[in-house]
Amino acid sequence: MSALQVQAGELLASGKAEVVIGYGEGTRGRVRPVFVRTRADVSLLVFDGRCTANLTVYLAKPEVGRMGKAAIVATPGAVRSLIQLIAEHQVDPGEVVVLAADDDAVTLLTDPAALEAYAAAHPVTIPPEAKAVTESLARMSAQERRAFWDAELSRCFKCYACRSACALCYCTRCITDMNQPQWVCVAPHALGVMEWHLNRAMHMAGRCVQCGSCTSACPAGIPIGLLAMEASRSVEKEFGAQAGLRCDAPPALSSFAADDRESFIL
Amino acid sequence: MCSDPGQNMIKSAIKEKNLTGVVVAACSPRMHEPTFRRACAEAGLNPFLCEMANLREQCSWVHPRTDATTEKAIDIVSMLVAKVKRNAPLFPIKVPVTRTALVIGGGIAGIQSALDIANAGRQVVLVEREPSIGGHMSQLSETFPTLDCSQCILTPRMVEVAQHPNITLHTYAEVESLSGFIGNFTARIRKKARSIDERSCTGCGECVTACPIKKIPSEFNAGLGLRSAIYVPFPQAVPNKPVIDRGRCTYFQKGKCRFCETKCPAKAIRFDQQDEILDIAVGAVVVSTGFTVVETSFFPEYGYGLYKDVITGLQFERLLSASGPTLGEVRRPSDGKTPKNVVFLACAGSRDPAKGIEYCSKICCMYTAKHAMLYRHKVPDGDATVFYMDIRAAGKGYDEFVRRAIEDDEVRYIRGRVSRVFERQGKLVVKGADTLLGGQQVEIEADLVVLASAAVANPGAEELAQRLHVSYDGHSFFSEAHPKLRPVETNSAGIFLAGACQAPKDIPESVGQASAAASKVVGLFSCEELTREPVIAVVNRTAPPAYSTCAGCFMCRSACPFNAIESEEIKGRDGQILKTLARVNPGLCQGCGTCVAFCRSKAIDLQGFTHEQMYAQVMDLFA
Repeated sequence: MSALQVQAGELLASGKAEVVIGYGEGTRGRVRPVFVRTRADVSLLVFDGRCTANLTVYLAKPEVGRMGKAAIVATPGAVRSLIQLIAEHQVDPGEVVVLAADDDAVTLLTDPAALEAYAAAHPVTIPPEAKAVTESLARMSAQERRAFWDAELSRCFKCYACRSACALCYCTRCITDMNQPQWVCVAPHALGVMEWHLNRAMHMAGRCVQCGSCTSACPAGIPIGLLAMEASRSVEKEFGAQAGLRCDAPPALSSFAADDRESFIL
Repeated sequence: MCSDPGQNMIKSAIKEKNLTGVVVAACSPRMHEPTFRRACAEAGLNPFLCEMANLREQCSWVHPRTDATTEKAIDIVSMLVAKVKRNAPLFPIKVPVTRTALVIGGGIAGIQSALDIANAGRQVVLVEREPSIGGHMSQLSETFPTLDCSQCILTPRMVEVAQHPNITLHTYAEVESLSGFIGNFTARIRKKARSIDERSCTGCGECVTACPIKKIPSEFNAGLGLRSAIYVPFPQAVPNKPVIDRGRCTYFQKGKCRFCETKCPAKAIRFDQQDEILDIAVGAVVVSTGFTVVETSFFPEYGYGLYKDVITGLQFERLLSASGPTLGEVRRPSDGKTPKNVVFLACAGSRDPAKGIEYCSKICCMYTAKHAMLYRHKVPDGDATVFYMDIRAAGKGYDEFVRRAIEDDEVRYIRGRVSRVFERQGKLVVKGADTLLGGQQVEIEADLVVLASAAVANPGAEELAQRLHVSYDGHSFFSEAHPKLRPVETNSAGIFLAGACQAPKDIPESVGQASAAASKVVGLFSCEELTREPVIAVVNRTAPPAYSTCAGCFMCRSACPFNAIESEEIKGRDGQILKTLARVNPGLCQGCGTCVAFCRSKAIDLQGFTHEQMYAQVMDLFA
């Protein structure tokens, strides 16, 4: 048994968790999420380089909440999103324990302080291909950037996988699903697609923890995470607030600090 | 249209044609919306189904007479028609009022506010941080421009506060928190342990005489006099009961002494007294926490803190005061000699953008003239020199007062700033420029230098503002709701400002503002219920099981400038919490709409300006 399976088994046996949310073997060599509720099933749990999806996406769901106290297998990005979910009052820190997994170790995190320490010790890592795109985007003029995104977004057919994969897209009713009034065009044409993605980027500003889930979920291979990442990076630049590091962080955009730069106010 | 015949046209149209909405295309809503809404109400239509299309300010007044202007007018009307179709009837909100006022700070402003409210028959709770009320005014010697003795006019007011049946006085106490909203606040007050049973203490002063620790710089005398560890701040203190300074008392520091206890004939000393926490329900708050003067470290170039004979204006007040450390004789702190050459520096720190205080402290010109004048009265053979930037003596009898100082009392006024104060052969030298003589350098030897140091906000003002949820400016003075038209209100309904906590002010202005704040409070208390416009934010409600599309992220809570967002738990039949969501307190919400803009899932709507209404209005323009 792997270290992860042993720890998960102990949590279930001791009652510290009633469900372990982790990765299991799927079809065609891929992994899928599994919900382990008995000790006998811990053998289903795996953790390796294929496990990149952010499982904290399940924590804010009421049906998962009804399963009882949860233990969750989390990558560093998922730990950050859990911290952000706690800061946004979506998860009660007393109701979840974390099996933080990276390439070589499994760490049990049981309180906000431990989560914050883990997040601080595991800073955001940007995959090299994303870094290359960001750098080339930074060199482009506004027109060139617009052309780049028009081309990328032309492949979007609005499956909303980015939204489903994102732990912080927990709204009960997404703005794009509203029709009284209809804020965002539902059709997957150029305008409708652009409206949706810009809206999502704005809603993620100051909240995106850069876990990369949305990009890896996109079936069309659009580097869609870059928009939210960039919005969050400008918030960080303006207000020094980085999402996913503190469980008691006030919302970056709706809170005020005396030393905010306010360079955007003319 | 706003005349009676115009209103009657609307009324009869409502009745005859069974109208369900009215758009009046005329002037601004601020001007006549109430008029037309009242007319609609009289005709039996809910007043919130009436809208104004502003053709005056937004069209006819700002454009020439052309066809394009007419088209714009049609567009404006058409947009409002699109909106009014989606208007819903709204009803005024009623909020009960607790008719007790909290006054924070017992200086002259707080005293005046408390007395005015109490004399109008309402209950007042007055909270003062220091052991006695009186504030800065009690420290002053004489007051400009009449030179009447400050304490002589203040102390009767202080006594009146103590004896007023409608005023509850808490000295040596601080407001820990304020929750609630207009008409319904709860103030948590910490009464610090005085270490004295106030009921049995007779104020005889035996304990003060007995105390062996006597060399503590007296706060009341601005550090120029000394006090004991158990002390009454000044002889006219209200209440005239001592307090033990626990940080300085031998018993509290070393566990031995208790001399005061043995000497107390009333057995009123209580070493084991604890801080007391009181929760008080109040309906309105007057903030009158005053100001302070800048600290010593602010003026390294003037040698304040380095040379004993460089003092602040407040310290000079104590030297002039008959109740001061020198009993009113002007003697300098270093050797007790009578100074023959006194130099006054106006604008010490004020109007100095380089030091971060660009504002004028307002009171210094007048009190410097007073100081120089009183000094010349007390030391007729002494020379008084004032360095000034301009003389700002706007006020009744003020300019005459300054002229009197210059002409009758022969005070020498030099226009120019002082660059340095230094010591040369045991004498202070004030070096400056005379800008009326082309910037000529002047050096004056002085026995005493008095700095008219800048008035600044109290330390902790920001923290208090945050606790009360009132806004403050870049210098930590509390902000009024409108600089001209709402000068005593804050942006938080039910909280008012009085005195120098808002900006530096002299006594008449502080008293004036205090009475104004009191009249606002009394006005608020004139009804048992407040009626408010229903233009407030509302978190939506949907059918079970979600009950609302609010996700409970509470981004709105930190965005709200009025502290109006509360949390509400939605429980299932078994009592289990299904969801925690935001709720808008209708008593606190001012309808600014900031929360609406922040809500990602559009779960908050502003009544009368809902998303649906606004969207329809905008889309109509493009239709």
